[in-house]
Amino acid sequence: MLELRNLWKSYDTHGRQKHVLRGLNATFMRGDAVGILGRNGAGKSTLIRMIAGIEPPTGGEIVRSMSVSWPLGFGGAVHGSITGADNCRFIARIYGKPAGWVESFVEEFAELGEYFRLPVKTYSSGMSSRLAFGLSMAIDFDCYLVDEVIAVGDARFTERCRIMLEERRKRSTLLMVSHQGELLRAFCTTAAILHEGRLTFHEDLDQAIATYHGL
Amino acid sequence: MDGLPRPPVWTRQSPPVLGARPAMPNGLATAFRVQMIVLGAIMMREIHTRFGRHHMGYLWLFFEPMILGGCIAVVHYVSGHGLPGGLDILSFYIVGYTPYYLFRSILNRAATSLLSNAPLFYHRQVTFLDVMIARNILDCAAVMMAVLIMLGLIGATLDVWPVNLVQIAFGIFLIAVFCHGIALIIVAATMWGVETVDRVVHPLTYLSIPLTGAFYMVWWFPISMQEWMLLIPSVHMFEIIREGQFGPVVPYNYDVVFMLASCAVTNLLGMLALSAAKRRIEFI
Repeated sequence: MLELRNLWKSYDTHGRQKHVLRGLNATFMRGDAVGILGRNGAGKSTLIRMIAGIEPPTGGEIVRSMSVSWPLGFGGAVHGSITGADNCRFIARIYGKPAGWVESFVEEFAELGEYFRLPVKTYSSGMSSRLAFGLSMAIDFDCYLVDEVIAVGDARFTERCRIMLEERRKRSTLLMVSHQGELLRAFCTTAAILHEGRLTFHEDLDQAIATYHGL
Repeated sequence: MDGLPRPPVWTRQSPPVLGARPAMPNGLATAFRVQMIVLGAIMMREIHTRFGRHHMGYLWLFFEPMILGGCIAVVHYVSGHGLPGGLDILSFYIVGYTPYYLFRSILNRAATSLLSNAPLFYHRQVTFLDVMIARNILDCAAVMMAVLIMLGLIGATLDVWPVNLVQIAFGIFLIAVFCHGIALIIVAATMWGVETVDRVVHPLTYLSIPLTGAFYMVWWFPISMQEWMLLIPSVHMFEIIREGQFGPVVPYNYDVVFMLASCAVTNLLGMLALSAAKRRIEFI
């Protein structure tokens, strides 16, 4: 279970406090697939990074009783100056997984060919998302945080992600943020809208998307 | 390979690993094991990012200090000034300059160390402190290796052998620990901006050259001045290294308790500063 308790996040901009998140409360259970919709700058990525534990909240707390992935998004997590394979072995080591196993899993999933043994900075954005996504799948988290990563892949990659996440749904939670309602439809069962620093949950995905478009 | 169709990649589940998951360590022994795994992985990665995987790139790890230390030593050797006490010039500058290289590289790289490792902090089990420890252990080991190789070469060619290698290593280790603490303070200060701190640190380490004690001995100076010099911890550290090299042929001035205490002070201050600043450091 993953719980957000009265979560606040504020930044100092030009000496003034800007409140990005204003007291979020939420509980995510195992098997949930929740999409979080929000416009550009609504604080979606900030929220995901806070749930991942990269950024500390200004107020409130996040209670994690399951393992939570790093945010799967553009870049981050993987290091540009070392190869895809080295990234795999490094991440396998710090998460206590057999390095060889992770390497072959990712090699097969990401379909990077010879690029797998080249520095990540030579990858296209689609290729680095494939690497990052494959890696997080190899580690086997209880909860996956997805930040638009799937949107940059081609149709084949999107489909593979979908099948993989579908497969994982039996044992994992999925939290996905996007500004596109349509993308969430393929992956999520419920949705919430992040608007003006508050999170509103909708039981019904279509209703959430409709409300979001109406904002 | 065996002719059987392999199951699709997404149905595979990673094999169980002996030991706990690092993400949520429980118990001191597990936490320690995880800490060691994380440090080892960061060091390995650091070697790869800094030196690449090919052409024995990791050899640069100790070639770099060797080249610098070696050149400085040779310049002094060729210029032909003798040293008080008749100490061997080459080894004097090797055991002075190379550890000074460690001093400078730990401090100079501190400010940007989080920035250049930003992807690591996407993984919760990796802390700022881990990255600093891993990097500094690596630097320390590299410099020890470089000193060892060069002293070996000097021994083989000039027949000047170090008297106590363990003492030299201990001195280098003390420099690393002392600087590690200062490096933590520098990292904490980056909450006011990495560039600002970086700009201040570089000239300061440069200006600190005459203060560190790397290129002179305390007994060369009048007693009244020695008292002041011995307030600087690194002066003691270079003295203990030199004693390890030359043995009791000239007087040395150092105080082990003072050195250990100053290491403890910088590290304590560093960790306090880092934990206070942690939430305000922006690294991505």
